[in-house]
Amino acid sequence: MNSSASWPALAGLVCALSLPAVGRAAAATSPPQDAPVYVVRAAKVVTRPGHVLENAAVLVRNGRIERVAQDLAVPEGAQVIEGAVVCAGFIDPWSCLGVDASVLEDRSPDAATRTADGLDLFTADHVREECLAAGVTSARVQGGYRAGTCGLAAFVRVDPTLDTTEGAVIDEPCLAMSAGLSIDMGPSFRRMPDGSFQIDSGDRPIDVFDRVSAVERVVSQIETGRQYREAQVEYRYELEEWQKAIDEKAKELEKDFKKAKKDREKEIEKAKEKGKEFKDERYKEDKKPREPKYDAEREQLARVAEGELPLVVEVHRAAELRNLLKGTASFQRLRLVIAGGTEALTCADELAERQIPVIVWPSLAGPNGSDEFDGRDLALAGNLAAKGVPVLLGSGGRQGTDTRDLPLLAALAVGHGLDAQKAFEALTLGAARTFDQAHRVGSVEVGKDADLLVLDAMPFEPGSAVRYVLTGGRLAITPEN
Amino acid sequence: MKNQVLSALSTTLAALAIALPAAAQNGDGNLVIKAGKVITNAGETLENGTIVIQNGRITAVGKDIEYPWNAQVREFPDAVAFPGFVEAHTTRGMDRANENIDVAAFLNVRDSIDPVNFYYEDALRAGITTINVQQGADCVVGGMGYVVKPVGMTVEQMTVRPNSGLAMSASPKRGKSRATQAQALRRAFDDLHRYLDETVQEKKEGKDYATREAMFQGREPDEETAKGRPMTGSAWKVEGLELVPRWELDEKQAPLLSVVEGKTRVFLFCGSPMEVMTALSIASENGFLHRTVLVLDNSCWKAADAIAERGVPVVLDPNLMYVERDPLTGEEQRTFVPKVFQDKGIEFALRSAGNSGQSLWYQAAICMANGLTREQAIAATTTVPAKLLGLGDRVGSLEKGKDGNVVLFSGDPLSVRSFVQNVVIEGNLVYDRATDTRAMHLDSGAQPDNTAPYDPNGDWKPHCCDDPTHEHVVKTDEGEDPQEVEEAPAKKHNHPVDGDKDGDKDKDADKQGEDK
Repeated sequence: MNSSASWPALAGLVCALSLPAVGRAAAATSPPQDAPVYVVRAAKVVTRPGHVLENAAVLVRNGRIERVAQDLAVPEGAQVIEGAVVCAGFIDPWSCLGVDASVLEDRSPDAATRTADGLDLFTADHVREECLAAGVTSARVQGGYRAGTCGLAAFVRVDPTLDTTEGAVIDEPCLAMSAGLSIDMGPSFRRMPDGSFQIDSGDRPIDVFDRVSAVERVVSQIETGRQYREAQVEYRYELEEWQKAIDEKAKELEKDFKKAKKDREKEIEKAKEKGKEFKDERYKEDKKPREPKYDAEREQLARVAEGELPLVVEVHRAAELRNLLKGTASFQRLRLVIAGGTEALTCADELAERQIPVIVWPSLAGPNGSDEFDGRDLALAGNLAAKGVPVLLGSGGRQGTDTRDLPLLAALAVGHGLDAQKAFEALTLGAARTFDQAHRVGSVEVGKDADLLVLDAMPFEPGSAVRYVLTGGRLAITPEN
Repeated sequence: MKNQVLSALSTTLAALAIALPAAAQNGDGNLVIKAGKVITNAGETLENGTIVIQNGRITAVGKDIEYPWNAQVREFPDAVAFPGFVEAHTTRGMDRANENIDVAAFLNVRDSIDPVNFYYEDALRAGITTINVQQGADCVVGGMGYVVKPVGMTVEQMTVRPNSGLAMSASPKRGKSRATQAQALRRAFDDLHRYLDETVQEKKEGKDYATREAMFQGREPDEETAKGRPMTGSAWKVEGLELVPRWELDEKQAPLLSVVEGKTRVFLFCGSPMEVMTALSIASENGFLHRTVLVLDNSCWKAADAIAERGVPVVLDPNLMYVERDPLTGEEQRTFVPKVFQDKGIEFALRSAGNSGQSLWYQAAICMANGLTREQAIAATTTVPAKLLGLGDRVGSLEKGKDGNVVLFSGDPLSVRSFVQNVVIEGNLVYDRATDTRAMHLDSGAQPDNTAPYDPNGDWKPHCCDDPTHEHVVKTDEGEDPQEVEEAPAKKHNHPVDGDKDGDKDKDADKQGEDK
């Protein structure tokens, strides 16, 4: 980026200018005002990964956490819930829970297509219920996984009682793309036990050139976004200068107006005497700079290029990943997140250095699964984390019901070498931070949404059953139901 | 005059005369109807009532009332007079229902309505007298609808109210998903907003430039000339729109501007409850919620609370029973959709099913069978749709001042045993079952004059005589004159002889006017 040196100075201006017409974040969910007050008391309150408060309690009022303390007095009328461990609700950073099938399978979304517009909150309430019972209280859901550009994701609260988009969608936290997936994401590629890929017949595979161009397309999209923003900023400057010049000129003209008027009258008389037609002198001024044409998609791409919006790219093979890392290295403010990353270990050093999070999708299906990249290595999360790569765990965004298995997938990753605390962080604060939701969810702290799990033991310990779940301050799961 | 036109048409196009028995019997809009029973649908039901229609409007309804001595009186002592059903939304009766362009607010069904379409004939048989024809749902913004009566040879003659409302859809058009459909619908309004902003901006800049130019040249700046109207509406406004005369605006954008200003009714199709949510949010964001009528799929009852909260009226799907299975137990759950809307206090209109088989009387009867009162069921097919179309003061009941539309049923309008005997529209008798050849054919198997017998092989002959050498002149309507017969020489023909049918068969088909 040749102009990147001058960019930081403009950053402030840029933020002020950006007026995303499409990415208007859904209105913040207002917590129910007359919801019951809860005091959740436990032997261990995990306020954030690695921080445990012994014998403490959490006061929940109006959907938010009002107090976390060891000497908490129970207010009158509050319902007391007791358990062994209290922690923040789990977040699935890669899900399609509640996304309408037509939107999920859509191949035509663009950078301004909102998954929030494609939620189906009226059907499959029982799946949301099951996800809650498993401890997942919020998720980043994404449609259009078959498309190169999947559109804007939605960060949703998991709660079957919410049936409006405004109620369920907390934010629209990122843009998603994919690179190098086969055109039909059916069983076209299969990774064999020896590490090679085998092409299954019947589906249209993607060849190596397509794969390369897919990465190039991702990079060039970011570049268009950057240029779009640059053009906007340049326009503002030019406009400012032009306006200044024109204002001065107008003042001057006003000053000289009397003289000009007299001159004109004289000229008219002269012309009359000579019997000629009078012609006004031609007026010239600098042309007004032209505003770059508004483009809803580029607006979003510009936000991505400037790091206002994270970009999730689903990419699996080492070759594409390497190209992607190379191609995006020059975008200094870009916040890249890798989804999938089946062969991410080959680039672990660079990922760690640039602190690019990888959303790993541990699979229950094992190496003989039916999907393209179902050769997912269960040890991948652990190995990446060991190299210092920020690791998140997601359920893959292919089937809504998979979100229910997220804690199980995380446990599998832990069983294959991922540090339990890192896994817990991946499911809570790590996911929240990556998608800018840490002010709302991800930890048990005052002011945050009351997404709380009451467990029998520390997360990922054997016998750590979910007893109670609060989502947005609503007691959704109890041992009775 | 109209009669002349019609008879000319009916003689040259015998086909149409048969297809539209209605068209041949127009009057002058003055008629007194005496019926054994008059259901006014305005509170009272009269035994042996009289309806006086003058100049197409009802001037009096009552028992033993006076009427002009010279009025034409029709007596139907055994019939039940009823105001006629109102179809709140249909996509039938058109040449083509859908367009390829996503946002086509500039289109008008006026250009697509097909006056000789079978549908209008069926509408009369079913006692439907007012019809809102709308673009289909396979669109983003579909175009303007028309309210018509099912009688007339041109769209102008049929028109009850032009430009009844703009069609839009929150349901994915072919090739779109729900998300991209919502995106396209929002973008239509974003584009309009941007367009208006730019237009006003250009106007302002042009004015500033002209002022500077004048100053430079030593002239007094020109006074402002063209002036438009400022933007109205409740959602968003473009300041300075009064600088731009409305006629300067792009005709593709103008209809949507009128929607945002709350001046145009919108029929918004929703295919699922989530689409209702999208529709409601887009309608309120752009200030036309109070002008919106939702046209719903039957699953949309799930969003009834949201609809009730905003007080938006709806047109229900023809399929009134919603059936689903519990995903866990597999148990079948049935919901009678109109009951849900009735209980939530939402204004709803019913809609005929696509093929005339389940017309409005049937839909109303089904509602009664599933727990709605007779008044509620009839209202959903008469007064409510009339109100939704902004025609509450014109159709839906038999009252002084309303259009002279009367349907005479052989019995109760909602009974499966009743049929429509006569239809009067704007004081003209336009339908008489006694001359409805197609109905006769269906009812009694009677072979009416000038029609061909049914032959599954398609190898048919005129039935009037069996003599292949006989020269046969096709009988036309009464009042035909010889000149017209001469004008249509194809009317005379020899019946085909065996082995030489091909050529003549086609001509026969033209003449005999068989539709199928």
